[in-house]
Amino acid sequence: MRALAPYMALVPLLPLVSAILLAAGGSATQQRRAALGVWPVVMACAGSVVALGLVAAGGPIHVRFYEPGAAAALAFPLGFHIDRLSAIMMTLITTVSAIIYLYSMQYMQQDRGYARFLSLLTLTDFVLLCMVSSANLLMLFVFWQLLSWLLYLLSHNRTHQATLNGAFKTFTLLRAADMAFLMGIVLAHALYGTVEFQELFERAASVPVVLSPLPGIELSGATAVTLLIFVGAMGKSAQFPMHLWLPGSLYAPTPVHAMLHAGIINAGGFLLNRLAPLYGLSPTTLHVVFAVGMLTAMLGASMMLVQNDIKKTLGFSTIGQMGYMIMECGLGAFALAVFHLIAHGIFKGTVFLNCGNVIHKVRQEPTFPHMTHDTEAPELSRLTWLTGMLTSLLMPLVILLLTHGVLRIPLWDAQGTVIFLFFIWVTSSQAILTLTRLRAVASWKVSVAMLSTLLFVVFTYLFAAEAFTHFLYPDPNEVTRYFRAAALPGPLFDGLVVGTTLLIVLGWAYLYAQAHGRTMPLPAWVQALRVRLYVLLMNRLYIDALHDRLGRGIMRVAHGLDKHSFGGSR
Amino acid sequence: MAEGLSLWLPAAVSAAGAVAGFAVWSRPAVLKVLALAVSLASLALLVASPGAAAGVSLPMLLPIAACLSLLGQPAHTDNRAAWILTLLLLGLGLSMLTVQDGMGLILSALLLIVLVALLHRYRALSISHLWQGIGIYAFGVVCLVLGLVASPPVSAMAVLAVCAMLLPLAPVHAGYVAALAGLPGNLPAFLACLLPVLGFHGLLAVLPHLPDSARDALPGLGLVGAVYGALKAMAQPRVRALLAYANLSFFSMLWWYVATMRTAPPQAVLYLAAVGLATNGLLQAWYAIRARYGDMDLRAIRGLAQPMPRFAVLFALLTLAALGLPPFGVFAGFMGLLLTPGLPLSGALAVIVLVWLTASWYFLGLLQRLLFGRHLPDLRYEDLGRTEFAALLALVLILFALGLAPARVFQPGAPTPPAQVAGGAAWNR
Repeated sequence: MRALAPYMALVPLLPLVSAILLAAGGSATQQRRAALGVWPVVMACAGSVVALGLVAAGGPIHVRFYEPGAAAALAFPLGFHIDRLSAIMMTLITTVSAIIYLYSMQYMQQDRGYARFLSLLTLTDFVLLCMVSSANLLMLFVFWQLLSWLLYLLSHNRTHQATLNGAFKTFTLLRAADMAFLMGIVLAHALYGTVEFQELFERAASVPVVLSPLPGIELSGATAVTLLIFVGAMGKSAQFPMHLWLPGSLYAPTPVHAMLHAGIINAGGFLLNRLAPLYGLSPTTLHVVFAVGMLTAMLGASMMLVQNDIKKTLGFSTIGQMGYMIMECGLGAFALAVFHLIAHGIFKGTVFLNCGNVIHKVRQEPTFPHMTHDTEAPELSRLTWLTGMLTSLLMPLVILLLTHGVLRIPLWDAQGTVIFLFFIWVTSSQAILTLTRLRAVASWKVSVAMLSTLLFVVFTYLFAAEAFTHFLYPDPNEVTRYFRAAALPGPLFDGLVVGTTLLIVLGWAYLYAQAHGRTMPLPAWVQALRVRLYVLLMNRLYIDALHDRLGRGIMRVAHGLDKHSFGGSR
Repeated sequence: MAEGLSLWLPAAVSAAGAVAGFAVWSRPAVLKVLALAVSLASLALLVASPGAAAGVSLPMLLPIAACLSLLGQPAHTDNRAAWILTLLLLGLGLSMLTVQDGMGLILSALLLIVLVALLHRYRALSISHLWQGIGIYAFGVVCLVLGLVASPPVSAMAVLAVCAMLLPLAPVHAGYVAALAGLPGNLPAFLACLLPVLGFHGLLAVLPHLPDSARDALPGLGLVGAVYGALKAMAQPRVRALLAYANLSFFSMLWWYVATMRTAPPQAVLYLAAVGLATNGLLQAWYAIRARYGDMDLRAIRGLAQPMPRFAVLFALLTLAALGLPPFGVFAGFMGLLLTPGLPLSGALAVIVLVWLTASWYFLGLLQRLLFGRHLPDLRYEDLGRTEFAALLALVLILFALGLAPARVFQPGAPTPPAQVAGGAAWNR
């Protein structure tokens, strides 16, 4: 079985076969070519599963077609390093892309650019596979940039001005992030003399370098490199304030969204995982990653609530989820971020592939989705309050603590675990509260059913997450090291947890009372703030406007210079 | 002696070809075949020369650029002068790469005089900076005279100024911009390769003789030129001027690099060749549009992707190459420059990367305005002809080869590293 290992490097090339097959030929044979093109995609999927089995059993596969150290000597450093992370990503990408390809064969059938679209889809698949199996940082960057270009091309409808504007914004913003990534690579090469992953990690760990970019400011070499590369990850994973391209790209066909939200956007999480040993050397960067992720999660989720378009709602939901994913990396829970991106990718891919049907149904049935309205507001006694609090807030927490005890997960050893528990508590409480607010059924029945389901789900989820962490990072010391590096100062961490808990309990009380027909008296300034926040979030914090103004400003400078300089155009 | 002869011979063949062109002046199709044959013969002579074993060299770039710029041209009487001038300039260029010192300066002066004459001859087609270009090149002739009669360091500074006119650097770039924006036929496409190659060659020769103060000032000039070129390119509504200013920006980065490192490794040559060839391709592609619809403003045409798919694909690939995306040579050259050991990490590097980023803005804007949007129904569209297609495709393939295997192109004798397969190493995520 191990003899198959070198051939695994061919797996990323299979979608390229499809892309070439689809691109070559006229419209007369495009249906036949599309049917043939599915086979390499499916074979790539099967190959990825085999690769996963091989690396799980026998360690990573490394195929290299260059001399190490030749990156600066005019040789394209082509090589493949397939380890457990790569194999998992390859399996996710090929599975999702095979499903999307099959979906697109029907969905795009009557489109004028049918073959071109499928060809670009499989080309994206190829680029993603090469990116996740790159043997070195430079090759990863090459495919990283190609992905930016493919995102531009996948906008597809090139006669629609809004689509073009969105695609232009996507490409230019991603290029800005790519340039920071490029600077990170240049700095890493200058400081450590290599772009090979393993050598880079070893040298960064063994040779501490201190940089002084500005007088009085000192940074470690690892911090500077990781911060710059993180900006690259922020671009692809739509982190605040580089998230602007994602809502703008929503004019693309539905299968592109599925591919984007299930595969492409995860690139940032993958990059942080690939470079985890380097990030583990820099607590400062991990704290920045945590802060950016947290801000993105909060803003993404808040902006999602005020959207009135299904695709934009899903888009902002993805931004929020990517914020969570990046925040997990910032907490040192790198494996958890991969687990999250897989779960989110599959979920969001399914939702996007289905949202066309929902839109279609709404157009046919204006009353869809069917709403039941209770004319009578349910009673809100003290008992109701207590039952609600017990079932929505306290019971999920007890279940979580119990599960941690049963699974022997050290709860207080790492802040990351506490935050993870916190996430699950908030999410499950929110889910129960949402059911209560629907008022379709008696809340206590729903709550009991929900709690028993929760017990099962949390147990499975935590068990799966633990097993996954062990699979991806078999060395427990490595995991502990990342958690330690990411640890926030004790008072700050405690303050964050207590403050957020307080906010959640207050929010819960307000929403719970509203769900039962009561209004809570709020101070006038809170009411005013609510309205202002709503307007602010609806206008996406005016960041799009700021971005446009910046663009116009640069163009004004360029035109001014052109007008007043030697050889100006007329 | 043999090496010198190996460069003189192709130069002589090109010059003879230019003279022979007048014999078939009345038959454009034959003249085009003759011009192609002569440029190919020059290339063959260079390839067969004793020094060719070391791989592709700067002189070889010139006949390749000449041949490809000629190939895409329609056999029309209006283009005859441009073809003969291409051969003449090719011969002159190859001669300049062969000789040193005084003779080299005289040939450079001859080149500048030809350019001044050409810009003056075609002034009717001019845009505003044509006169500034003529003035700059005339000043270049004066500098060369000074280079001949004065003693160092004045002579070195005078030659440096001429190098900055050829490999464009602000503030003496106007001649280059005027040549690319104002000359007819395939000349701009050819000159986009010829002039920078000659400037670069001259720069390498003059760099050791410059006073320290001048060498210290050059990186700053390079940075200013890069930023200025990028901003000017963003504001241009005309394609040829946009490409000329983009080149100013890109070549200013090369000035910065060479002046900072005080050396020119193969990656600098790769960068120079790739930028020159990508511009050559884009100018040829734009010529195909001009040949059909005249020299128009970018705002007057759009949506070519649908009615002209072959043009659209090749133009998009050339634009990608020009803006520095992989897997093309410009990216490989740029990465090679940035990853050079010993390159100082400073704010200048950040400026260079920012300038590099702006190329994505104006090149993508060019691509989007030209290819996408709704096409104009009142225009009659005709996709690329066979020779136009072949020329652009060849350029794309060369840029692709430069990007994927530059070491193979520049050092063909180097051993191929064997594929290495390993498994079960400790590093496993």
